[in-house]
Amino acid sequence: MTALTFFLLASLLLLAFGLAGLITRRTLVGMLISVELMLNGAGLSIVAACKSTEASDSLGQLATLFVMGLAAAEATLVLAMILVVQRRFGKVLSSEITTLR
Amino acid sequence: MEQHVNPIIDAVLGYIAGFIQYLAGLLGPYLPEAHWAAYLAFALYVTAIILGGLLAILARNLVRAMMGLVLTFLGVAGMYLLLASPFLAFMQLLIYVGAICVLVFFAIMLTHNSSEGEESKLPPLSALGYGLLSLIAPLAVAGPLIILHGSKLKSKVPVDTPTGDLGKGLLTEYVLPFELISIVLLVAMAGAVFLAFRGFAPLKGDKE
Repeated sequence: MTALTFFLLASLLLLAFGLAGLITRRTLVGMLISVELMLNGAGLSIVAACKSTEASDSLGQLATLFVMGLAAAEATLVLAMILVVQRRFGKVLSSEITTLR
Repeated sequence: MEQHVNPIIDAVLGYIAGFIQYLAGLLGPYLPEAHWAAYLAFALYVTAIILGGLLAILARNLVRAMMGLVLTFLGVAGMYLLLASPFLAFMQLLIYVGAICVLVFFAIMLTHNSSEGEESKLPPLSALGYGLLSLIAPLAVAGPLIILHGSKLKSKVPVDTPTGDLGKGLLTEYVLPFELISIVLLVAMAGAVFLAFRGFAPLKGDKE
């Protein structure tokens, strides 16, 4: 067991929490929260892997910065989609959104 | 001055210290060498991540779930500090806690979902079963892999990278991803504004 193992286990835990939340949540907002958990785990594992092995330090930190930027873009878009779905269907239950029109 | 106030407290403290020493002796050969403060900080951050994650996926009130998300973000920021990347910890606080949580809060409030919304009922039993399965599956598949093979990697102690190196990397070696991410952000903002302002009214003939 090295220090890297501990950090990777922590990020694995984040992935597992996010996956479980994504499946059990009933609304789009709850699913957005779960996806953020998973993205955070991805960033943590990238930084841990690059910082505690011989890989380039700045590569890992910049990759995580890009993950954060993508997460921000994704959250913005999902907020707009949630607004549209709320206006169109009156609720944001994932089981109710059944038409593409 | 008498330091030992109560013999019972002394005995309990001595017992706890002995137990910790016993555990350290038992696990010592398997654990990486680090200062005890590092272990303490790591335990604190992992506790924050676990509590926050459980709150985020189990709370029936979505505002409470968002507070759990904030707790998890703080724990991950602490992890970044332990990994000697303070710039990322700062960015984590700024982007996740500062921006994304506000977006999630907007989403909760605009859909009237805070406490008596659709999330306040428990999900069906089958979804709970699948959720438990999807909680266990990544841990059961990747956990042993990490523990068995992660130890074989040559690990080094994280050292601080100057923030200037990150800036130089963004403008020389990784300039293409940098420009691409700005385009992605621009397109996402434009799309969000377009979707939110144009709006989609309920179509005629829909049952409400």
